[in-house]
Amino acid sequence: MKLPALALFERSLRLETRSALVCWSRTGLLLLILLVLVPIQSLARAGMFGAPGLRFLQEMVWLNLVFITLAGLSYFASAITEEKEEMMLGLLRMTELNSVSILLGKSTSRLVGALLLLLMQVPFVLLAVTLGGVGLLQIAAAYGTLLAYLFLVCNLALLFSVVFRNTTTAATFTLAVLFVFLIGHYWAAGITQYLASSGQINPHRGIWSLLTTLIDLWRQAAPSNRLGVIFQTGFAGPAIGFQVASNLVLGGLLFLLAWLVFDWCIREEKDAAPPRRWLLGRATPRSRIPTRLFGTRAISWKDFTFISGGRWGLLMKFGVVAFVVALCNFMALEFGTGTEITREFEGTLLIWISLATTAVFLALDAGRIFRDEIRWKTLSSLVMLPVSVPELAYRKVAGTLAGTLPLLAGFVLGVLLVPDDVGKFLDDMFSEPVGVGVFIVIILQFILFLHLTAFLSLIIKRGALPLAIAIQYLGGSFFMTFLTILFSAGGSSGPGAICFLTGLICVAMTVVLHRAIGLRLARAAAEE
Amino acid sequence: MSESNQPTIEICDLHHAYKRQQALRGVSFAVEQGSIHGFVGPNGAGKTTTLKILATLLKPQRGTVRVFGLDVVADYKNVRRKTGFMPDHFSLYRQMTVQEYLDFFGAAYGMDVQERTRVVGDVLALTDMETRRNDLIKGLSRGMQQRISLARVLVHDPALLLLDEPASGLDPRARIELMEIIRELRRMGKTIFISSHILSELAELCDSVTILDRGAVRYSGSMSGLNRRDGEMADYLLTLAEEHPAAEAALRKVSGVIEVTKPAKAPQYRVSFQKKQTDPNLLLRAALDSGAQILGFQEIVRHLNQAFMDLTEPGVPPVMVAAADNTPPAPSVPDSGGPS
Repeated sequence: MKLPALALFERSLRLETRSALVCWSRTGLLLLILLVLVPIQSLARAGMFGAPGLRFLQEMVWLNLVFITLAGLSYFASAITEEKEEMMLGLLRMTELNSVSILLGKSTSRLVGALLLLLMQVPFVLLAVTLGGVGLLQIAAAYGTLLAYLFLVCNLALLFSVVFRNTTTAATFTLAVLFVFLIGHYWAAGITQYLASSGQINPHRGIWSLLTTLIDLWRQAAPSNRLGVIFQTGFAGPAIGFQVASNLVLGGLLFLLAWLVFDWCIREEKDAAPPRRWLLGRATPRSRIPTRLFGTRAISWKDFTFISGGRWGLLMKFGVVAFVVALCNFMALEFGTGTEITREFEGTLLIWISLATTAVFLALDAGRIFRDEIRWKTLSSLVMLPVSVPELAYRKVAGTLAGTLPLLAGFVLGVLLVPDDVGKFLDDMFSEPVGVGVFIVIILQFILFLHLTAFLSLIIKRGALPLAIAIQYLGGSFFMTFLTILFSAGGSSGPGAICFLTGLICVAMTVVLHRAIGLRLARAAAEE
Repeated sequence: MSESNQPTIEICDLHHAYKRQQALRGVSFAVEQGSIHGFVGPNGAGKTTTLKILATLLKPQRGTVRVFGLDVVADYKNVRRKTGFMPDHFSLYRQMTVQEYLDFFGAAYGMDVQERTRVVGDVLALTDMETRRNDLIKGLSRGMQQRISLARVLVHDPALLLLDEPASGLDPRARIELMEIIRELRRMGKTIFISSHILSELAELCDSVTILDRGAVRYSGSMSGLNRRDGEMADYLLTLAEEHPAAEAALRKVSGVIEVTKPAKAPQYRVSFQKKQTDPNLLLRAALDSGAQILGFQEIVRHLNQAFMDLTEPGVPPVMVAAADNTPPAPSVPDSGGPS
């Protein structure tokens, strides 16, 4: 007998089974296993390290951990929001489907798909035992950890997907909570220690005991910590520890919470278009494009406003840099040992934080710059303007880049604070050709990454950024390992050749992606 | 051909395929300047593909497409300047206000502030949206969003408007108002190429029509040409007070009459004849002379609905023959079969 509550779940599973994307994912996963296995085997044979089996298992498990986290940000976080964005949830609710069946059908089916992807690796990962340095118990414990973490991530993302109106917000909150969950216990322990050493908490009182117990439980529940234990030589179990139990219980509770708040959160179907006030402020009779911005510059204005967030976006980015700098200062003053707030410290901090936030915002913008036009079906009206598709794309990019000006200002301010240090850094770098090469390769890799993100956003509905990170990471790791093996006998010419080849390949791939983005944009406009 | 007589749209032997699916198979037709040209066909006939090629969004795989004499591939920028395309979906930045949205497109077409202010005011007046200019687009009704889409298309004052299903999803009042706007645009001298499934409205609105089915043109020409059988033939319906077989015999004897049939049990006769050899007056005279008591005598014209059904019936081959009226190569109209 079929249960009505499982109808959508069953249908989703059927669709997933037939999906070409799932087949490709499984093929890709097998390829990934090969990509990890071959270099490890080669390097182990070359005598670069022992216990290749353990190394293989570690790489596979850490990669899976990253993939599960990335899946949480895209695949799982969009489970309910994608229905909200397409305003389909109301129609689903008009059927006999209740909230449980919608949650099971939209989220748990995805979880099952991901679990299958994880489980299908196990027979291949058993090769690690043959390679040596690892036991069956370690493999079972590691994959148990991953399965429990996957369950937790799926249901955490589901909760945010139910609560928030769009995938971006759900993904942001999922990322923030996972970030805190995975590494927050280190900070919590540090802060507790600091409070105890400064006398603000008495180590002999109940609150101290409670805090340390909670932080210890938190640490044990984090998969990163558990995996560290599993990979230790002589690991003797248990295969299912506190981490598995706690992650499963937490995941179950999050699912229950998602179910409880479901009806309340979706009682009103709202337009998924981003709220205007954050972008442009209130509409006034005089709201118009600045006088000088006409022609193709108007396109840049639109993207500066809607992708980068306009004036509010500039302020917000400046605020992010200022907040991170302030936080680092606070951490350095409170927890640092012997750190003084000097001009050099502030300058260096400002340079690195500006660079890091620029990279993050550029990556986020790359995933949205073309995707939003496709999502809101506005590309055809833009492409109908009397400009070529490349010109249109460059204008959009220019508008988005204008939104990074405050970050650039932070960088320039940092350089002005420590001109001597920057000069010395540049001198050191340019005195070694390899240093220049590494610097150029890093920039080229980042440009390639932005292109990859933008391209993926044109061909997949969601998760372009996490996928680009995964592809770049895997491709880069494999390629660097391959080149290292290739040039291991090359003596001093090795690093230079590696830099040159890596740079060359980055440029070639960027050119290909650049062209592909243009073609894909024209095609997407025609397909609207 | 002088520029004033040059067709706005000229499509010749246009082919387009999506992978293995042939969307267009040798489509040829033309659209006169200043006319409203209807573009009809069943779903999947190739209408939107043709529209997208005209709008320069798709490149033709074979054949030539010219808009105002300009090739849509080689001279696409100039074609875009002279063309406004309204797709069958809302292509709107919903976080913007109506004013900002139109102002943005005006700016993107290179207009300065003074010009934009004037043009935005004009198009808002034309689409009767002046009072909503400071409203957010996402808060507008479907009909209003459709008007804003039309207003956007008009911002750069294109001479040709390509409208893909402009009335779909609109309530009757909004549809009627939209049709009024389109008539007003024709009065302003614009050529309007409109794809729609609402045949009754197209029949009232259009000067000419192209019927497309399975990627081939079934008819292209004037509405009057479509309504009649063809240029040389005519069908009339004679209604008598009572059965009178002598009338049928008398009609058959008239020179040029090809066929006299009795389409219903009622005392009615359908007469098909060559227009060059006879005229309706002679037929009427013959019927009167036979002693029949005549209640009615009228030309049988097909409504667009009937023509559409006849021409897009499965099994009707896409036969291309001479144009009706003065339009370029156009296909024939197969036998209509009966009165509308």
